[in-house]
Amino acid sequence: MSTASTLIETVDVGKAYGSFVALDGVTLSVKGGELVSIVGPNGAGKTTLVNVLTGLLKPTRGVVRFKGDDIAGIGPVKLAKRGMARAFQLVHIFPAMTVAETIGVAIVSQTGRSLDFFSSVRGDAAVRRRVEEVAGIFGLAGKLDSESRLLSQGEKKLLDIASAFALVPEVILLDEPTSGVSSGDKHGIMKTLIDAAERASVKAIILVEHDMDLVAEYSSRIVALQGGKVLADRAPADFFSDPEIVAAIVGRKVGKVARSLA
Amino acid sequence: MTAFFDVLLGGVFHASVLFLVAAGLQLVFGVQRIVNLACGSFYALGAFFGITAVNWSIAHGAPPWTFLPVLVIAGIVLGAIGPAIELLLRTVYKRDEAFQLLLTFALVLMFQDVLRFFWGANPQQLGNLSMSYGKIAIGAVSFPTYNVLVMAASVAIAVGLGLFLSRSRYGRILRATAENREMAEALGADVRWIYASVFTLGTMLGTVGGALVVPTSAASLDMPVELVVEAFAVVVIGGLGSMRGALVGALIVGLTRAAAISFYAELEVLAIYVIVIAVLVARPAGLFGKPVE
Amino acid sequence: MSGAVPQRRGLLLAFVAVAIVVLAAFPHIAATYYVTLVLPAFAYAIALLGFNLLFGTTGLLSFGHALFVAIGAYCAAVLSSRVGVKSLELILLASSVAAVVAALPVALLSVRYVRIFFGILTLAFGMLFHSFLFKFYDLTGGDTGIRVLRPTILGMDFKELDKTAFLIGPFYYACLLLAVVLGVVMWRVVHSPFGLHLAAIRENPIKAEYLGVRVRRFRLLAFLISAFYCAIGGVILAVNTGQADPELAYWTHSGELVFMTVLGGFASFFGPVVGAFTFVFLKSELMGLTQYWRFCLGATLAVIVIVFPRGLIGLAKDASRKAAKR
Repeated sequence: MSTASTLIETVDVGKAYGSFVALDGVTLSVKGGELVSIVGPNGAGKTTLVNVLTGLLKPTRGVVRFKGDDIAGIGPVKLAKRGMARAFQLVHIFPAMTVAETIGVAIVSQTGRSLDFFSSVRGDAAVRRRVEEVAGIFGLAGKLDSESRLLSQGEKKLLDIASAFALVPEVILLDEPTSGVSSGDKHGIMKTLIDAAERASVKAIILVEHDMDLVAEYSSRIVALQGGKVLADRAPADFFSDPEIVAAIVGRKVGKVARSLA
Repeated sequence: MTAFFDVLLGGVFHASVLFLVAAGLQLVFGVQRIVNLACGSFYALGAFFGITAVNWSIAHGAPPWTFLPVLVIAGIVLGAIGPAIELLLRTVYKRDEAFQLLLTFALVLMFQDVLRFFWGANPQQLGNLSMSYGKIAIGAVSFPTYNVLVMAASVAIAVGLGLFLSRSRYGRILRATAENREMAEALGADVRWIYASVFTLGTMLGTVGGALVVPTSAASLDMPVELVVEAFAVVVIGGLGSMRGALVGALIVGLTRAAAISFYAELEVLAIYVIVIAVLVARPAGLFGKPVE
Repeated sequence: MSGAVPQRRGLLLAFVAVAIVVLAAFPHIAATYYVTLVLPAFAYAIALLGFNLLFGTTGLLSFGHALFVAIGAYCAAVLSSRVGVKSLELILLASSVAAVVAALPVALLSVRYVRIFFGILTLAFGMLFHSFLFKFYDLTGGDTGIRVLRPTILGMDFKELDKTAFLIGPFYYACLLLAVVLGVVMWRVVHSPFGLHLAAIRENPIKAEYLGVRVRRFRLLAFLISAFYCAIGGVILAVNTGQADPELAYWTHSGELVFMTVLGGFASFFGPVVGAFTFVFLKSELMGLTQYWRFCLGATLAVIVIVFPRGLIGLAKDASRKAAKR
């Protein structure tokens, strides 16, 4: 993660549903090498912002750009082709397909072989190698031929994220990747994610998270939303040293790590 | 001009009967999410059994004019097969919709031979019985009273159903279960009983519809598979799960069919399906349905 | 990719090879009556291989695919008895192209929907075509349909053979060859990257989109391929009976296609083939045994749906798994 050009940005983006304003003038940008966390209470507009960032929703005002191109409402397929992947909070898997096949879908799609009607995907050594590589990063190498529905919840989550990484995206957006994971494992998952991002040459990570300890430890920058507006957009040290921001977002005492930054 | 009214009244009569079957379909789909391919089989069962019931009652001394109530009662009595069939369908509730559809198709196949077994392969009729109520004349137009009675009955049932679903406690529980089954269960609704009763009600609507149509046409072994075609057109045009849709859809299909038959016979079913496809292009969920997908 | 154990692949190949040999020898070892039954079995086997690409692999259940079988049959009829084209190869080509062309608007409209709505919409299209065939007597022969004249195979007309001899002779082997070739092609398609994407669409269309899979476009392609296969099945059926009639397009015929697929096993590649053969022979036997054969078939379908949803192949797989454990 070395380039410092702006990869994804929103400029004064607003999204209104009739009289209800979900987003009100959000401007932010993510550069290469960053891990940006989006935080905020429920209803603050995080989901809407994420949907705008990933081309699912067209903003009613403002622009959203990916590598300089307007991506308003382009949809998940075009987004994946342009180089941004997304993993959801709710785990999405292909129940009857094996781990290898699941990752294989991403690899085949990313290498543009979707309309290949006749070569054997099973016998393709190159694909298999890539599958093993990606699975290895996420600790799923031993489960390559297991059906996805038989995996544990944590493994399913990893598989979901692994298949997103297999798209070799430049930017990956992770929606609460550690939700439902026991607190002991959370740091392990974050480290795996960052490690995977490096190995997969992912240039930037956008994280939506509720766990402020994780946010404090791993983010290069924190964007806090409240009521559809950007409350703060700062590095963790700055973020946690401002008591007003902390009170607004967290509302209570923060954990050890965050306090040590303040 | 008379021709126009004939077409109009003929279309509305056909729509009245179609509405009953479609209402049954919508009820079952709305609550249980099952599309019942065997709706036509229930309809045919009502028709054949209705004929048997009327012939039996007349043979036992009932005056001919009682045939209408006898038909209605026959239709309602047949609803008794509802619970048994629902029990069968219950085995596949938790499965993919494809299997539910297939099971109803299996029922269609089985019912074909059940009808054949009890009533033989030849079409049956009630002769001129429908004329024993005479005709109603309005100006130059006259129409059999029986048909008018059926249309009135259908309207009454439509209104009754509507009130029942929106005002009664049972109706409210039904709608809640249709909306969200787990929630309704958590709130104490006996979902199994609801499913059984809804299915029975839906079946009854079909059997009564078949019984009522039989004086004006014939009961034949083609009925089950042919009715499905029109009934589905109705629910697709009206929107799956919507009662209002069943009413409007039935009117559209009934009138289109009547018009097509009188002007250009070849167009009969074709016209209906062109409308089905046109509605689906313009409004994918049907006229009153909830958008899905 | 996912490893079907090499021994199992070898066993499968052996099975298939034996089946082909048996089928090739069949006309010489079995009674004529049974040989004539294999022809519609071939027809349905091919049609269902296509149908199951859409159903088993992509997850879309169509209740109107008999439409494409009928298109195949009517093309064969029109070409052979009205236009004078007798070459089987040309008829097959023209029929399958016609079916794909007809499938395009149907698919474009239908793949916007899923599940029950897809089923009902395809049923509507099937019946639309049926009513067209049934009513427009001058064009389509109405309820009698159109005759199908004997085609030439590779240019040869086999004039010296009577109808049955032709059917259980050269035509039989042409159909066997067709079935094998089309089977191999479908095997490649199902196991290709495209096939993998179709499976992904079936399993979770939302996730598939996020992995860059163009869901609607691929559903459309699967639909077109399935129409192609169904039309070829229709040609075989029509040549076999000598007649293309509108009942081929009726919705209950579409229902039978689904029945056969589920009977054999929709989750396996060979399920539809097994289902086709089983259904054709079962129906024939039942028709000979009782006049209430529809009831028996219906009951069979009910039992399959309730007790053995993975069909005969599923049963066989379960049995072999239990045997392997001992």
